[in-house]
Amino acid sequence: MGLLLRIEEAVDAGIGRRRLGYALLALIVVYFLWFPNDTTQSNYAKTVFISGFFYAIMSSSWALLAGIAGQFSFGHMAFMGIGAYVAGLAARDGFAFLTPESVSSVGAIFIGTLVAGLVGLVIGWLLLRLRSAYLALFTIAFSELFRIVMLTEYDYTGGSNGLSLRPLLQIADVDTARQVEYYLMFALLIVCLLALYWVANSPVGLFLRAMREDEDAASALGVNVVRYKILVFVFTSMIVGLAGGIFYSDIGSERIIPEQLEILQMSLIIAYAVIGGMESLIGAAAGAFIARYLLEATREVVITLPFGLTMADGADAFVWEPGAWRYALFGLVMVLTLRFMRNGLLYPIITWFSGRDIVMKETVAKRESDEDHAARLEAGDE
Amino acid sequence: MSEINLELNSIVMRFGGNQAVDHVSFSVVEPQLIGMIGPNGAGKTTLTNVMSGMLKPTNGTIYLNGRRIDGHPPYDVVRAGLGRTFQITRALGRMTVMENMLVPGLAIRPRARQADIEARAHEILDLLTIDHLTNELSRALSGGQRKLLELGRLLMLDPAVIILDEPFAGVHPRLQETIYSYIHRVHEDGKAIILISHNMGAVFELSQRLIVLNNGALIADGEPQAVKSDPAVIEAYLGEDE
Ligand SMILES: Nc1ncnc2c1ncn2[C@@H]1O[C@H](COP(=O)(O)OP(=O)(O)OP(=O)(O)O)[C@@H](O)[C@H]1O
Ligand SMILES: [Mg+2]
Repeated sequence: MGLLLRIEEAVDAGIGRRRLGYALLALIVVYFLWFPNDTTQSNYAKTVFISGFFYAIMSSSWALLAGIAGQFSFGHMAFMGIGAYVAGLAARDGFAFLTPESVSSVGAIFIGTLVAGLVGLVIGWLLLRLRSAYLALFTIAFSELFRIVMLTEYDYTGGSNGLSLRPLLQIADVDTARQVEYYLMFALLIVCLLALYWVANSPVGLFLRAMREDEDAASALGVNVVRYKILVFVFTSMIVGLAGGIFYSDIGSERIIPEQLEILQMSLIIAYAVIGGMESLIGAAAGAFIARYLLEATREVVITLPFGLTMADGADAFVWEPGAWRYALFGLVMVLTLRFMRNGLLYPIITWFSGRDIVMKETVAKRESDEDHAARLEAGDE
Repeated sequence: MSEINLELNSIVMRFGGNQAVDHVSFSVVEPQLIGMIGPNGAGKTTLTNVMSGMLKPTNGTIYLNGRRIDGHPPYDVVRAGLGRTFQITRALGRMTVMENMLVPGLAIRPRARQADIEARAHEILDLLTIDHLTNELSRALSGGQRKLLELGRLLMLDPAVIILDEPFAGVHPRLQETIYSYIHRVHEDGKAIILISHNMGAVFELSQRLIVLNNGALIADGEPQAVKSDPAVIEAYLGEDE
């Protein structure tokens, strides 16, 4: 403890927490930029990272919707699915007056993103009068409806086999392809995070938080709650629609399947955000990335035994394939997070770097009861 | 001084079979300080909710400076120039005191510089003796401080007409004095104030005009001294502990 305090003092006196935080963030970005050039890493490792970036986009945009704006939606995966499916259908069958040949992969993704935004607009409008549990139920129903339609309309969607999108890239060499895919997905994550932060730090972000705290009070304070509620649904739907369109255009996966749209998958997005910190966009993104990585890394747990010990079967390592138990363990972590660290496991780190905990300590010192406040005023009157 | 012309025409608010507001009509045409009183359940808060747009009246119309505002959402009514506080305070709990002030400031004047809005917020918070709590989360404030914050937020909207629903209730007497001077100050700025309170001392001291509701109906409207001796008003308060 003493050492930690000493470090804290040194940082405060020297570079400052905020700048140290930005420096660390820059280091992390540099690491991610360098990673594909690490020749010891397999293409599989890059694939894991690509999917980590995708889920980071999903969870951080959900954090804006649920953590900041208070719209606890279960429809986030469905909007992602709309982006991907519409892109696939547009490129294969054409779209409205467009023939399939005239729709490029980029054009298809663009159309998918737009449609996701349009559906977001309608859903946002339908949700205007619904709060908390009703909103959650409605979005679960919407999401299930979409999944079942995708599953049953197999003539169009390929049913449970899923739908292939037109590949975004045409690169013959597998290693190069994986590298480009990696950078593309990472760039998308950065762009999405910047866009999310831009909104969250603008007056709109302030209004969204006011709505989360008390919608009626926000409205009485002049916040156009109708406009901002619809806006946040359109904005986040377009982000995940875009991410879905790109990810399934053979960047992270070569086809979108209805299984991706199951409630379990949606729950995982929520769990990543909760563990990382629902009210912090970067926290939710980091939570998703780390969780995806750990879930991947623990497919097979190998513990090499020390001191020349062997297992009963003569093996020198303990091997455990946890399978679905990983998810159970993961659920346990989420439950414990909710119980003991409501703001997420990364919250203390993030507040420390932002210096917000200093402000909090100062203001807690100023707290007073009505009586104290009155006494202070009396003293000042003399 | 801003233009003021508020007009309620035969406002009715019914909840099922319960007529909470019963054909209430009155108008406000100058920056008066108006007391609104009535026994518990008389319909004062319900009328406030109707006027501020939280409830759509079953019947009747409301005009503010020529604009019809009944049935319009609160964020429109506020722009038309009518703001209110809540009987039970509604601080934006997990937002700081300054953020609570910025929300109305930026909502009403999206093009203003944030620094100007913050400066204005500090002025108001200082007047309300809570400027030292700027960075505090509003849920950490004491009951009286929350009331003060709500009054402060309201001023950020700069409304021509303000309705204060029980601003003194549950507030330490010394902080009530701060609210007193706030009301005087705001009134001097040329705003009309409708003060709802069970604190008869305060109402009679502050009000230039008194409106009395009973069972949803307006039973008296006029000079405080005349209203006080009105038989219908005495009747309504008979048996009350006032
Ligand atoms: N949302 C509602 N649904 C049904 N009835 C309601 C509703 N709101 C208020 N009422 C009823 O309307 C009547 C008027 O209530 P209101 O709160 O307006 O009175 P009030 O004059 O503000 O009382 P108080 O002095 O206690 O604050 C009461 O009978 C109340 O039960
Ligand atoms: Mg009331």
